[in-house]
Amino acid sequence: MSDESLQIFTDEAEDLLGVAEQALLNLDNLDDDAETLEGINDLFRTFHTIKGSAGLFGLNIVVEFTHVVESLLGKVREGSLKVDHDMVSLFLLSRDHLENLVAHALGGESGMGDELKQTDSDLINRLNKYLGLEPVESSVADTPVDLAGQAPKVDGGVENENWHISLRFGVDALRNGMDPASFIGYLNKIGNLTSVVLLDDAIPAWSEFDPESCYLGFEISLFAPSTNKEALEEVFEFVQDDCKVSVLPPHSHIDDYIQMIEELPEEDMRIGDILLACGALTLQEKQNVLNAQDKLTDEVTAQGEGGSVPPLGEVAVDEHVIQQEVVDAAIKKQAEQKKMRESGQQTIRVNALKLENLVNLVGELVIGSANSELNARRLADDDLNEAMENLLRLVEEVRDTTLGLRMVQIGETFNRYKRVVREVSRDLGKDIELRISGAETELDKTLIEKIADPLMHLVRNAIDHGIEPPDKRMAAGKLAKGVVNLDAFHDSGSIVIQIRDDGGGLSKQKILAKAMDKGLVAKGQQLSDQEVYHLIFAAGFSTADAVSNLSGRGVGMDVVRKNIEALRGHVEIESEEGKGSTFSIRLPLTLAIIDGFQVRVGDGQYIVPLDLVDECIELNESLRSKDENAHYINLRGEILPFMYLRDMFSVTHSTAVGTHSDPEGMLGVKEYNATRSYLGDLLVEEGQSAAQTNPEQRDNIVVVRFGGNKAGFVVDELLGEHQTVIKPLGKVFQNLKGISGATILGSGEVAMIIDIPEMVKRIIHRDNIDAVAAKTIH
Amino acid sequence: MQVQEDSIEGGARHSQEIEQYLTFMLGGKVYGLAILNIKEIIEYGDITEVPMTPDFISGVINLRGNVVPVVDLSQRFSGQAMQQTKRTSIIILEVKNDDLRIEIGVTVDMVNEVLDIPMGEIEAAPSLGNQIQTNFISGMAKMNGKLLILLDIEHVLSIDELSVIGGIQHDSSETVID
Repeated sequence: MSDESLQIFTDEAEDLLGVAEQALLNLDNLDDDAETLEGINDLFRTFHTIKGSAGLFGLNIVVEFTHVVESLLGKVREGSLKVDHDMVSLFLLSRDHLENLVAHALGGESGMGDELKQTDSDLINRLNKYLGLEPVESSVADTPVDLAGQAPKVDGGVENENWHISLRFGVDALRNGMDPASFIGYLNKIGNLTSVVLLDDAIPAWSEFDPESCYLGFEISLFAPSTNKEALEEVFEFVQDDCKVSVLPPHSHIDDYIQMIEELPEEDMRIGDILLACGALTLQEKQNVLNAQDKLTDEVTAQGEGGSVPPLGEVAVDEHVIQQEVVDAAIKKQAEQKKMRESGQQTIRVNALKLENLVNLVGELVIGSANSELNARRLADDDLNEAMENLLRLVEEVRDTTLGLRMVQIGETFNRYKRVVREVSRDLGKDIELRISGAETELDKTLIEKIADPLMHLVRNAIDHGIEPPDKRMAAGKLAKGVVNLDAFHDSGSIVIQIRDDGGGLSKQKILAKAMDKGLVAKGQQLSDQEVYHLIFAAGFSTADAVSNLSGRGVGMDVVRKNIEALRGHVEIESEEGKGSTFSIRLPLTLAIIDGFQVRVGDGQYIVPLDLVDECIELNESLRSKDENAHYINLRGEILPFMYLRDMFSVTHSTAVGTHSDPEGMLGVKEYNATRSYLGDLLVEEGQSAAQTNPEQRDNIVVVRFGGNKAGFVVDELLGEHQTVIKPLGKVFQNLKGISGATILGSGEVAMIIDIPEMVKRIIHRDNIDAVAAKTIH
Repeated sequence: MQVQEDSIEGGARHSQEIEQYLTFMLGGKVYGLAILNIKEIIEYGDITEVPMTPDFISGVINLRGNVVPVVDLSQRFSGQAMQQTKRTSIIILEVKNDDLRIEIGVTVDMVNEVLDIPMGEIEAAPSLGNQIQTNFISGMAKMNGKLLILLDIEHVLSIDELSVIGGIQHDSSETVID
């Protein structure tokens, strides 16, 4: 089956194989043991990833071969075997072979060619020798053999020993990226196509013909004694929704044929002939079928229920049977059409650095034009101002377009996992649904590319280790169907991608026991929950009892952590035993645009992510509670805690006592707040600090909502919406909480982006601080 | 850096080797910075304060679209806020951190000149009698009768030290175990 995801896989495999080659070549020159081990680890991971991905696409030849290679690498990694030059050459040969296999898989050809098969078994034998295994015959796809195919003819069954598949593609099949030819090609892999009849009845008049629509139907006769109905139906799983597929096993009962014929849109007579042409039915059987149907329809007519039954029987036999050559030609045409379609959405690969440069330049352009505008206004020259106006509009367009270049919706990436979940869960005998939200969340293309792999691992892990088998779930009182949620959202300056499953959760005891076993944790060491959970990211760590084809070798999580950290992101794990786990990947946005809400606090301008803003209200006396220390208002009957941003933000620069000597960092704030409210008690009736600076000024509260909590921030001025290009604050501010990034305003000024989640957290926890402060004062 | 072709085998630094230093004034003293670390010098201005940061972080500036932190060297050395004058400048430096090169600006009272200083003229930092931490100083040089303090920029602008002091306590839940 060739489709887009397969293309993605082959691209990835190509990259990975490139990496593997480099690693192998390095390995050949290494004398240092530690470095060798690292190289072997890398290789192992690379092959593991290839195997995993190949497994998801059902590329058995790739999986089987890689598994053997991986096993040998595993031995080397454990130290029970030592790498020598011969082994490296063998690995290199294996890598080359794998490349061929992958290329072969992309070609969508069935099975392996003789030459390939020979290499395959040769290499497997050589690898097995290292493993101490007897040379074995090249293993063949382990499709379960269903004896139904060879079952003796059932009473009333037809003589036909072939499967009969009746296929009507939906109009949108091509648009959905399904290529009818690839299905037929795939069938040929499962068995031998004895006959394919193409039905073009649905093709409309040429004036109405839409080249992107699929009007094709097929009647296929397949000789495949070793397959079963399920396996055949699986072939069409992805087109099930909009296509009509019926699969009839060999020697099916004649009634089944009748039923099938009835369900098909074409004239019954014609179908009968096609079935005959396919060899699905003998002439006699056909007559029986049609007669039986005649009877049926007669009955229906008699009952007066079927008004428009097509006339049957005496219709001249339409010798419209299409020969194999014609089908081939049609398939070829389809392939050509697909090519044309693809060329329609041409893309250009551009060096990311060039784009980055462009983005930076545009940023400068925006700032420069804002500056020019200010000056133009000052000169009060009408013509100049008008010209400026035009220029600004263009600059804005250029900015939006440029920034848009690098932004990609994550939905496309998420959709890749749908298939993964489907296939993996089936392999594991689990029923799992993938729910996607936040697909429209945009983030930098390079980020998306780099996060795809770790995400794949996490999703696979959730399926494999997270979600329990159905019987276990039932026993635990859960629905048999497991749910994996994939969610993405912007979270003030960072993007969060969440993989949430409702499975068994992480077992702290199990993790700890394993960690002690591996010497990662000393006995008696006290660890927080987060620390315990993060142990699963250690190299070679796996609590799965059984090593499956997919995961459990302890490579995945290690890679996940490495890759995410390379992006300067981090993973948070929440888990409740028996209820499920949530992995949140939090990535900094090197570049992203959010809708911001611009406010002024003191001299500084700040941005609040607009998504989190609930409303803005004026802080007046009627809202405020009587107790001015409480910092709560009554918002339409709701208690809303609030905070003066001015108090918080000015604290370190206005207090003589430097907070930098304070290891906890909070002390300055506490003392300051306490002093402030204490002074407020004495000096100002309302105890409102804003009133001290400017009694005329009205305070506004920006009400934000985060994670089910609502809180308010008092700001000096509301400035309105602002398209915010997020700039990272860099390493110097890496530990700064409460500010998540910066942006550059049109004037060239820098504005801080407020980390709303952190601020909300602070407000919620403020009660404790207030209590402490009260003690220090009184 | 100009290197005079006069190498002694094995000797990495010879007394005849010359390094170039940018000298600047700060609180009445003359300091020197190896020019290799210096990217550019800009006029002081348009600094946006970053709330909840230590006093020696002046804030950030917009350097052609990049947000660059600025450190108040006076605060960093003596705990006294810098006095802004017409000649106050920001020197943009590149500091190594792990594999990254990070741009950081420092505020100085006045930029003087670039001096060629032979390595032989540089003495080790005295351990006593200085207002600033000894590990900030890479050496002392006497030029034209004046004492020049050469700064060790990796220490002065150590990212670990600059970043360790956030306004809010570092959240332990985000610690990643290695």
